[in-house]
Amino acid sequence: MIIDTRQERLLIVSDLHVGNPYSAASRNLGGFFEYARRERYNVCINGDGFEILQASFASLAADAVGVLKSIRSLIEAGLSVFYVVGNHDIALENFITAWSGIQITPFLNVSSGIERIRVEHGHLYDPSFVRSPRFYEWMTRAAGPLLHLYPDVYRLWTSYEDMKQRVKLSFRGGKGESSIYHEAARMLLSRGFDVVIFGHTHRSEDLTFEPGRRYVNSGNWVRGGTFVEIDHGKVALRQWKGAS
Amino acid sequence: MFSKRLSNSEAHGTELTRTYEDAQLICREGETSAEMFVIRSGSVRVFKASTRGDIELAVLAKGDFFGEMSVLEGLPRDASAQASGSAEVLVMTPGALLVRLRRDPTFAFELLRRLSGRVRSLNARLIATLGASPQGADALLYQSEASAEGTSETKSLDPDPKPEARSEVRVESGRVS
Repeated sequence: MIIDTRQERLLIVSDLHVGNPYSAASRNLGGFFEYARRERYNVCINGDGFEILQASFASLAADAVGVLKSIRSLIEAGLSVFYVVGNHDIALENFITAWSGIQITPFLNVSSGIERIRVEHGHLYDPSFVRSPRFYEWMTRAAGPLLHLYPDVYRLWTSYEDMKQRVKLSFRGGKGESSIYHEAARMLLSRGFDVVIFGHTHRSEDLTFEPGRRYVNSGNWVRGGTFVEIDHGKVALRQWKGAS
Repeated sequence: MFSKRLSNSEAHGTELTRTYEDAQLICREGETSAEMFVIRSGSVRVFKASTRGDIELAVLAKGDFFGEMSVLEGLPRDASAQASGSAEVLVMTPGALLVRLRRDPTFAFELLRRLSGRVRSLNARLIATLGASPQGADALLYQSEASAEGTSETKSLDPDPKPEARSEVRVESGRVS
């Protein structure tokens, strides 16, 4: 298992939720992976790439094959594909490895240029998940039908978590971070990372806490199409606008 | 004093950040201390003293950690460490480490991975030393651990235990995989 890796050119996407009937990822990823292959970027899927909690088997079977074929073409072109495990795909770890030779990892410590970058899904800092993973799983399954009404339900959840954090902060006299993920990122940054990249919240973000200490969230591909580009230590949050 | 610290020592919750100048000692071989270090910036040279001078073991960079054995076991340090250029380190005591592990669980994974790698490499060296005899390696490793823990079991240990005895050794030592 690879945890520490040197990558000069790496693209990071997260929260594709391939298999979820409301994810548009499988329609857009082909062009994105083709771009990675042409421009010689290695790729990292930063968690929740494939859906199991809210998947219909028909969607998973239909969508996953195309995505896995695209990934395989990257590997055949001599590029590396990393898969950081998220909370929606823990049960799929062995399946993904066996299918396509993707390098599965719990998180990645990427060295690029002179930068040291942590890539992690971020669910380990979600208090609801940590307190009771089983209850969280049950809630996620139950929330499936809500996707019919509002496909951005994940972002709604993130806003709810933020609201809880703000209420907590008001009791603490405003001391601390406005987001649990920012707090977690600061913990990681304090031990020698220059940039921390999470997914999980479905909300793309790019924040500089202090010079040389930065937090980036790679967003999602359910309805969005944001990705993080690492090029010789330069980290940029970008929006995929098609293969033009 | 072995590691003259600069005044630049800052508390971050339960952890401290210290800055060291080039060649300044961070910790010394043989001293007993319950602190471990994570390099926030710069690099650190790890070395052991010998009759023929210092033997450099490693040069660690940003993000690397060292001194974890002293925190976990409270035993004297195995090697010395000094700043190579200016270096900033995060200092953790056992209490601070526990808080860190609670809030930053992947650090536990990295720590265990390091220790696991060390056990694997020690096993390989032991087996190589004993002429590829796994039985002898198990026994020797157990003896060294028992003697480090000050138990009397070392004397009664059969140097060439039978298979069933070996499996018992494996469980008790808890480190031989």
